Amino acid sequence: MTDIDKSNFAPGDAPTYESVLQCMRCGFCLPTCPTFALTGRERSSPRGRVALARAVHDGKLTFSEALKEESFFCLDCRACTTACPSGVKAGEVMEVCRSQAQQFFPGGHLSQKFRSFVLERMLPDPDALEKSMLPNRLYQRLGIQWLVRHSHILKLGPDWMEKAEGMMPKIGEPLRQQLPEITPARGEKRGRVAFFLGCVMSLMYGEVSRQTVRVLAYQGFDVLTPKATKCCGAPHLAEGDRETSRQLALHNLELFLKEDVDAIVTDCAGCGASLKEYEELLEGLVPHEKLEKFRAKIRDVQEFLAEAGLRSEGLKPVNTSVTYHEPCHLCHAQGVSKQPRDLIKAIPGVEFREMNESSWCCGSAATWGLKFTEESQQVLDRKLNNIKATDADHLVTANPGCHLQLAWGLKQAGIKQDVLHLMELLGQATPE
Amino acid sequence: MISQAAVARLRDMLGTKNVLSEPEDLLTLGYDSTPELSGQPDVAVYPPDLDGILTAIEIARDEGLPIVPRGSGTGLSGGSVPVSGGMVLCLNRMNRILEIDEANLTATVEPGVITLDLFNAVAEKGLFYPPDPGSQKISTLGGNVMENAGGLRGLKYGVTRDYVMALQCVLPDGSVVNTGGKSVKDVAGYAFKDLLVGSEGTLGIISEITVSLIPPPQTRKTLLAYFDTMPKAGEAVARIIAAKIIPSTLEIMDQATIGCVEEFAGIGLPLDMAALLLIEVDGHPAVVEEEAAAVHKVLQQVGAAEIKLAGNADEAASLAAARRTALSALARKSPTTLLEDATVPRSMLAETFTEIERLTDKYRLTVGTFGHAGDGNIHPTVLCDERDRDQMQRAHAFYDELYEKVLAWGGTVSGEHGIGVAKRDYLARQIGPAGIAVMRRIKDSFDPRRMLNPGKVIAEK
Ligand SMILES: Cc1cc2nc3c(=O)[nH]c(=O)nc-3n(C[C@H](O)[C@H](O)[C@H](O)COP(=O)(O)OP(=O)(O)OC[C@H]3O[C@@H](n4cnc5c(N)ncnc54)[C@H](O)[C@@H]3O)c2cc1C
Ligand code: SF4
Ligand code: SF4
Repeated sequence: MTDIDKSNFAPGDAPTYESVLQCMRCGFCLPTCPTFALTGRERSSPRGRVALARAVHDGKLTFSEALKEESFFCLDCRACTTACPSGVKAGEVMEVCRSQAQQFFPGGHLSQKFRSFVLERMLPDPDALEKSMLPNRLYQRLGIQWLVRHSHILKLGPDWMEKAEGMMPKIGEPLRQQLPEITPARGEKRGRVAFFLGCVMSLMYGEVSRQTVRVLAYQGFDVLTPKATKCCGAPHLAEGDRETSRQLALHNLELFLKEDVDAIVTDCAGCGASLKEYEELLEGLVPHEKLEKFRAKIRDVQEFLAEAGLRSEGLKPVNTSVTYHEPCHLCHAQGVSKQPRDLIKAIPGVEFREMNESSWCCGSAATWGLKFTEESQQVLDRKLNNIKATDADHLVTANPGCHLQLAWGLKQAGIKQDVLHLMELLGQATPE
Repeated sequence: MISQAAVARLRDMLGTKNVLSEPEDLLTLGYDSTPELSGQPDVAVYPPDLDGILTAIEIARDEGLPIVPRGSGTGLSGGSVPVSGGMVLCLNRMNRILEIDEANLTATVEPGVITLDLFNAVAEKGLFYPPDPGSQKISTLGGNVMENAGGLRGLKYGVTRDYVMALQCVLPDGSVVNTGGKSVKDVAGYAFKDLLVGSEGTLGIISEITVSLIPPPQTRKTLLAYFDTMPKAGEAVARIIAAKIIPSTLEIMDQATIGCVEEFAGIGLPLDMAALLLIEVDGHPAVVEEEAAAVHKVLQQVGAAEIKLAGNADEAASLAAARRTALSALARKSPTTLLEDATVPRSMLAETFTEIERLTDKYRLTVGTFGHAGDGNIHPTVLCDERDRDQMQRAHAFYDELYEKVLAWGGTVSGEHGIGVAKRDYLARQIGPAGIAVMRRIKDSFDPRRMLNPGKVIAEK
């Protein structure tokens, strides 16, 4: 059997040996991986990345700079997970490797301090986060600039600042301050849900989430929005800080399990994926039944409405044509792919136009798009061409990261389509 | 070992991004899809074109390095594994479709073109490239040619060899040979091209491939038949062939495989059936009707538990796609999937399945069996754990005994995956010392210094 002693992983969070041994190297994942498509380099493919992790386990490789680089070059888009018939999760293996990267290459003292300031103080504290947003300079204030510069890969494209600035939407009042604790159902009541309001949604896309809540209420659900919600922990996982992520997860888990609701709904695909994966993240820390109970309640809003059945009486026609970009964290991480299309098609007046490669990543991927500006542009261009070819009036998606990147990309390229969250589209059809 | 100077020279001539020597790159170019096998090259080179290949060969020769050509590394016998180190020559970035010649019904491609990409490109022009290995989304044409890859349509349409019209091949001494052409008939000299097809990268490096294309079939019909035993399904295959019907596809999956494929693909396959046959007939609508009816009748006679007709083209396509994932889906169940490529005369299929069942019990193993039943080409796959020595020994004993029977029945040790490293002993058993000796003489005439993919097909002496 395996000789655990040989492993070159640091103690603490590391990919399990089973998770890498399961790969039989068939390569089914290769054509779905954006970074392999960019480089044609085996080590930047899912199969290669899993092989690297296995080699570290087998003591054949040390956790090197190159491995750190790979763990952050992986978009964590999970396209490989969808493709893999053997059930290997290369993206998640790399996500866990990011925390190894933190252990092996912690960076200087100052970097550490700043990093923990952002990840451990600002992001977990909604009040502090909202205050930091007031000057409308999210990237600098949030310290993402710093993260980009200091935490990893370091070969920064000089363009990232400009890009970050260019991507910023208009920032209004944080939605968290405005939403009532309970938004009552309209018409015949069908149930009661809790709404998980994501940080980015609250701060940058308040209008979208306002529509989400309004739509849910119109669809007959009481919507409860707990003010004490904290960040879902996804940014921490992305940066390799699994510890803070666990603390946030524990907080949210307790907070939401207290409520007597049919479902916990979110309109941010990243949050949804993260909440659904609390089960794995907190395994061993929380009784399993509790984790299962929580997991069973999490729904992306698109998934939820498709399951509940859209109440279409009274909807106003929206005479327009749309195409749909699938957020990785919705289609690959959560397996929600058909439901958004069904919803779009159910809105009166809307003509749906399928795009080529709808589930190919847009190149945003948390801060990836800022760390690898050039590569991100290439991934984005492929997407933009596919969007353009549909000639639809609007591009619909369902995740703030994609929204930012695509809106920016379309504007840069002078393409006419504008970006809408699916709930905004449905909001247009929903009477006041 | 390669010298620093040689690496620098390679970088200089081919560009930095085309020459990799970091341990992480070398490690990930040391395997293909064959279990239990890996090596470590000294350097990896991605030639951008023919000149790049020539440069790489020259430097490898100066350094005395073996050269191991590599496509996508989906091989299942270890052909592109650098077992004795050296230079891995990665051809997957040479991936341009150079020409689709509609007047002559041919396509000319670089060796790194992905099989499915070629299929799609010619389909856009209303043409058809039939070879379709299960790995078609990933494998390269160069790899297909070198393994003489078969596929799901092999039964009616043949294998890669049947479509290769011309090859450009670089010999280890740096000479470039063009063999074959666009003429449909060609008997000028030795059948050099046919010898190269299936040579597993041991005779030359393929730098350009011309394949022939055919018009696509007008219609197709897909049938699914379930059986309560594997031998019964084998019997059905033999009877369909004996009834002189050649479906385009005639694939088999056993219960273990059906379960794994269903778990991954979720297309509604029943989990309680011992065997499934996926049958497709294609061609002229009238012929398709007639053949489908005849197949249906045979299936009934043999006693299929259930026979279903795929509702539409999408359903048929998703069934074929699911079948292609069989091997990888079986890997859900165990860390190691040891698969074989036994091929028997089709009249012996039922016996073969009975034998597999007997050996499975005898060696106390879990086996999933699937394959191109219509070709008599089946892949019994032992689900095991390479960390368990005893189990691995039993798995190898299982195959030893199975192959004894397969050879006695006039079968072969490889239908499509080649010999590589994994099946050398079996090959020696099949063709004997005289066979090996003549193969070695052929090898020596192409590659007297034994630089090219040493140790593959026949062991080094
Ligand atoms: C899930 C799965 C399903 C499969 N299904 C089938 C199937 O149905 N039928 C089938 O026949 N095979 C099948 N295979 C096996 C494999 O895909 C084929 O053998 C394929 O042709 C290999 O192509 P490749 O590009 O990956 O080549 P590689 O594995 O990289 O190389 C194969 C051989 O060709 C040599 N080579 C590659 N390119 C060149 C070149 N340009 N010049 C000289 N030598 C070269 C290599 O040295 C090696 O010996 C399957 C494999 C997998 C993993
Ligand atoms: S990760 Fe999955 S799809 Fe990719 S090579 Fe491994 S087993 Fe195959
Ligand atoms: S998660 Fe995405 S980028 Fe990472 S290995 Fe998988 S497919 Fe490639």
